Amino acid sequence: MLKCTVNGKEIEVAEGTMVIEAFKQAGEDIAHYCWHPGLSVAGVCRLCMIEVEGAPRLMIACNTQVTEGMVVSNNSAKVQEAVKWGLDFHLINHPLDCPICDQAGECGLQDQYMKFGQYDPEMAERKVKKRKVVDLGRKIVLDTERCILCSRCVRFTDEVTKTSELGIFNRGDRSEIGTHEDKPLDNDYAVNVVDICPVGALTSKDFRFKQRVWYLDNDSTVCNGCSTGCNVNVYYNEKGYFRVKPEHNKDINDYWMCDKGRNIFKHVNKENRLLKAIKKTEAGTQMMAPGAAAKDVASLIKNYSSDQVAVVFTGQYTNEEYEDAMMYIDKLGTKKVYHWVNNSESFDDFDGILLRGDKNPNTAGLIKALEAKSLNSTWEQLEAELNSGAIKLVILAGPELQEYFPDIQEKIQLFSKAENLVVLSSNPNPAYRDVDYLIPMKTFVEKKGSFTNFAGTVQKIQKMRLVVSQALSLGEAMQLMAGDELQIGASL
Amino acid sequence: MFQLANERVEKIKSEMQRYETKQSAIIPALYQVQEQYGWVSKEALDFLADLMEIPVAEIREVFTFYTMFNQKPTGKFHLQVCTNISCSMAGGRELTDYICKKLNVKPGDTTADGKFSVSKVECLGSCDTAPVMQNNFEYHENLNEAKIDQIIESLQKLN
Repeated sequence: MLKCTVNGKEIEVAEGTMVIEAFKQAGEDIAHYCWHPGLSVAGVCRLCMIEVEGAPRLMIACNTQVTEGMVVSNNSAKVQEAVKWGLDFHLINHPLDCPICDQAGECGLQDQYMKFGQYDPEMAERKVKKRKVVDLGRKIVLDTERCILCSRCVRFTDEVTKTSELGIFNRGDRSEIGTHEDKPLDNDYAVNVVDICPVGALTSKDFRFKQRVWYLDNDSTVCNGCSTGCNVNVYYNEKGYFRVKPEHNKDINDYWMCDKGRNIFKHVNKENRLLKAIKKTEAGTQMMAPGAAAKDVASLIKNYSSDQVAVVFTGQYTNEEYEDAMMYIDKLGTKKVYHWVNNSESFDDFDGILLRGDKNPNTAGLIKALEAKSLNSTWEQLEAELNSGAIKLVILAGPELQEYFPDIQEKIQLFSKAENLVVLSSNPNPAYRDVDYLIPMKTFVEKKGSFTNFAGTVQKIQKMRLVVSQALSLGEAMQLMAGDELQIGASL
Repeated sequence: MFQLANERVEKIKSEMQRYETKQSAIIPALYQVQEQYGWVSKEALDFLADLMEIPVAEIREVFTFYTMFNQKPTGKFHLQVCTNISCSMAGGRELTDYICKKLNVKPGDTTADGKFSVSKVECLGSCDTAPVMQNNFEYHENLNEAKIDQIIESLQKLN
């Protein structure tokens, strides 16, 4: 460990620490655009200026290593003057289109300007006009005028995805980032460049112009798109959920997430949800409150002996829900519990970065819950008993992310061989048209709990804003179907 | 159809062996293309990327950085006027305007008869004799409007 003094605070840092990291560790503010903890050092923005005691000139914090006894500061008038001018140079060709820029509110340039800005720019030359609204494929839009050439995105495609689509072309004040011949930037991790862009040069097609960022709240949770379990932040307000961004976790996803995971909020929003329970009757269908429908199922179950009832799980629910569900399955007395494995051929795939073939957040948790109860019925047994008519009623804890269950239609047809099929699902699906009961479930942002990822790491998910307030958790649904009442306030 | 001559391909391969990193061979490789075609097309960049196993964006970075690589076909005589500091101070920019007016083209463009292209370029390394212009590979130094008239007149006589 090395001792050093940052703006008068004495701290200890590990050997090899850069001064900018020492500032972060000491909780001291330091201006910077091009430095990113997940990328190599570029040293191009020249904003993280510091004064080192004993050194004649200012240095950049991102590319200066801490040495024993080093005394550094960035609060002197000399440093602030340098930062102020550095900022003014960045703004020479940057358009002042903040009112129509999607980055406004979370823009590095705006933030720095509020602190160090000149406010009265002394630049008499005209701004260099560059290309705007450059289409980089289905995910990203590029505005080369807003770019301050920090090169974070270029380093990202070089170092993280190793696809090297981006480069800095031309020179001097005509330099701009881009892809060769505007080829689409469509690797599986492309949207990360939008996150790391400190200005509004790279924006997400999916999110741009949907919301002003200052109207959004956000909470951290775990991506439910695959078994990696990337830590993410979900952004929402009273109008719904709008975007997902990665959150740093050095053991799981570092600073990144895949582009597929960016879509995990879409099924949550009201227009895509199952709002009421639907019961099939002789006259057609009947809409019911979710709780009432589950109680209805409870009375239906009473018509059957316990070994005529089967429960099918998907790996899309929380550990806590599985635990509760198992308790009520005990009460129902059935041992016929099955695990629906989606896309089993690609189950063990891994792209070497983050994406895994197991498109469930909690397969490990489900397997553990089943093992704990010694429930080891095979899928073949389920098929055989459905064909023989031994199973009369099937309860399916359906998938929340239906797009990862391409065999949904086929499986529903199989389960429909039973006299009664109860499907628990957060969203409707054409395949569910003829099921006897369809009961709305909460989504992963509407409940507390935890997921166990592929490596056995248990991570918490948070309850954020409710979209369908009457929807049930898996535990609640099983409790009601087992004939118990819900306790007020006990819900997950 | 882009087809780089075999001996040029071989030359590029040997240049790649010559330096510590193959990226160092990007400039010689671009020169090989330009010597054959007079300019470097986007197909050429893709070809070089495949040949050298370097991302095409990286080759394009080098290609667009230097003004000596032509991004489109040029006329028979490519007049490259230096507008870097010394030449600009000695009237390089005004001379460019003069040439353009005389030939009725914009900087970067080629005359209708395909004879002349005019472009502004970065330092030609001859600051002591500013303002300077290059016609293809030939230097013209200590320029003024009268000298330009002479040069263009003599070039127009050539076929």
